[in-house]
Amino acid sequence: MQAVLDAVVEPRRREILRLVRRDELAAGAIAANFGDVSRPAISQHLRVLRDAGLLVERRAGTRRLYRARPEGFGELRAFLEEFWDTRLEALRHEAEREQRSKDRDTTEQPERRSQRGGRGNG
Amino acid sequence: MTQPSSRNAGASEAVEAMAEPIVREIHIDATPNTVFGFFTEADKLTRWLASEATLDPRPGGVCHQVHPGEDRSSGPYHMRGEFVEVSPPERVVFTWGFTNPDVGVPPGSSVVEVTLLPEDGGTRLRLVHRDLPAAAIEDHAGGWTTMLDRLAAAVAAAREDA
Repeated sequence: MQAVLDAVVEPRRREILRLVRRDELAAGAIAANFGDVSRPAISQHLRVLRDAGLLVERRAGTRRLYRARPEGFGELRAFLEEFWDTRLEALRHEAEREQRSKDRDTTEQPERRSQRGGRGNG
Repeated sequence: MTQPSSRNAGASEAVEAMAEPIVREIHIDATPNTVFGFFTEADKLTRWLASEATLDPRPGGVCHQVHPGEDRSSGPYHMRGEFVEVSPPERVVFTWGFTNPDVGVPPGSSVVEVTLLPEDGGTRLRLVHRDLPAAAIEDHAGGWTTMLDRLAAAVAAAREDA
């Protein structure tokens, strides 16, 4: 995720992503939107975005065309889905262990049953 | 391949609100009451979710968790959340976000809702993780743009703190 975050921190790179969100554009057409930025600087921004997986580059003859790749952000989602699956499986294991332990206590020493429930809830 | 869109920015907020959350369900052979404690008691939360935790389970109370990294180059990750709703034994809601900018989910930016319902002598746990930055990836007028700005602002803020 670091590359994605680094990529979007620079305002011009966000502007580039907006430009190519719907339309595939050539590098020259993208650069034309930034009168105050040099062409090599734009190329550098395009490279950072492409390397972060947020931009797809396609060659057509001598031209390079770019469009946004919002799936780049989907990687965070995939990571979290796997994270929760793994964690919840661990929770199931621990909660079931806890339940067995509670049930055992209850069976062996029924008189202690209410001890755990004694916390005040302010 | 340019397709003029008939939709415009007017509906962007509604579309963003509809962005799909992550939803996970699991059956646990333990009572809702037993499972609930694993979200609100630090010594139990550290058995499955975090390596350290500071929890004050009431609305507005802190929900801080330290998550170890997956490998030596990453982590630990500091989850600095806040409890939003604490209704034992069936519902607990807390905000979810990390001070580490590389996670991409800044503090306060997303919400985890956990619902625990009795099922076959055990519990049906449903976890909904909503308002993720990545949830706004759909190609709609405002969400993409808004999300980029929000993300960038959060990253900048987190770096200033660091």
